[in-house]
Amino acid sequence: MPRSLNVFDSFDRFSVGKKVREDTWDYVTIPKNALAMKEKYDISFGPEVIPEDDDLSDRLFKAGLEMLAISGFYNPNLGKALSVTEDEILAGVENAPRKVKLGRGRERVSCKPRRGNSRRKPIIQGGPTGAPVSEGIFPQMMESYAQERVVDTLVSGVLNTVSGRPSTTNTPWEIQATLAEIKYVREACDRAGRRGMGI
Amino acid sequence: MDNSGMSMIAGWYLARDVIMMEQMPIFGGYCGGVEETAICDVATMLASFALFDCDIHLDGPIHIRWGITTTRETLQIAAHAAAAIDLNSDLLLANQYYTLAGPCTEMCLLEVSAQSMTDTASGRELVSGSASSKGVVKDMTTGMEARVMGEVAEATAGMEVSEVNKILDKVLGLYKGQYSKPPMGKRFQDCYDLKSNTPTYEHMKVYDKAMETLRECGLNI
Repeated sequence: MPRSLNVFDSFDRFSVGKKVREDTWDYVTIPKNALAMKEKYDISFGPEVIPEDDDLSDRLFKAGLEMLAISGFYNPNLGKALSVTEDEILAGVENAPRKVKLGRGRERVSCKPRRGNSRRKPIIQGGPTGAPVSEGIFPQMMESYAQERVVDTLVSGVLNTVSGRPSTTNTPWEIQATLAEIKYVREACDRAGRRGMGI
Repeated sequence: MDNSGMSMIAGWYLARDVIMMEQMPIFGGYCGGVEETAICDVATMLASFALFDCDIHLDGPIHIRWGITTTRETLQIAAHAAAAIDLNSDLLLANQYYTLAGPCTEMCLLEVSAQSMTDTASGRELVSGSASSKGVVKDMTTGMEARVMGEVAEATAGMEVSEVNKILDKVLGLYKGQYSKPPMGKRFQDCYDLKSNTPTYEHMKVYDKAMETLRECGLNI
């Protein structure tokens, strides 16, 4: 099996990739290849929300794998698509971490494969998930997540302002707001008695 | 993937940080229908690990019309893609929550519950939420949605998938008729007591009602 790629290998692949117009990628390459894979692997969902047919799941995996191999991946800055083989994709899957530790101390949790609907619940990550939050209530809102028994790790919201100034993208205030968010989230963990929660 | 994204990943990769990579396929967009979107979802999840040094993948199939992750179609895409990867690898998969209704409404908590059941029973390792009110309205998120997400995940873990599907049909049927006029709900500061930082009495009544509804639908919670 070939070695797996890292982000530097992928950037180099983009650099020597095939030139593709972005609208061609969006309107032709993706829909055409997705439909071809659907037909080749006979992918048709039934009425169930969650699949109960392992054969369908296997065919969907193969369809997704071949979709990536025949399409590659697009970089809009370079206007190029990289190429990757199925063996290289599978090498990357094989080398991906099977366990990740999130958080520190007694708040550390382990994220590891569940295998179907295991009796072990998933990690519960609570937070506004990037939704906008007023500066005046930000720490209290984050504490409302940290104090919940079932919550294992936190995901931050977006500070709407910092020191009363809009945290607009691509301005110095965006950086100030990001650092303030981290500070407030850590304070929220402390106030909930859960210092060390994964953020 | 643009150059800014590649540069950020390079920094995290060299610092040996844990990298959670987010991608939200749009149902009804370039990909097409539910099956084609699920195929693209699987392909992009695989790319995250194989090309971009991802440790945990954060999914979020989203509906082009409603801008949420909790519709039947987007849950079906998420579940099928997760199950396909789960059956064929040990990759770590997460999903994120965008509801149509706002906090302090039963619809919001039922939307969160439907997705939590779906993610748990399809084998995902982490659930992340919730961006209520589509994640676009200021202060319209609270810890209560995360409580429900977690408690429903605990109740669902270990159940037969066919049983979960039956309950999901009932829960989805309770809120799909409200898509065009979802309840706005309340801001955090209007449904939490800011002195004690706990949900208000009214908010707890909404929580109790949602739990009762889930029990009536068959969930042992």
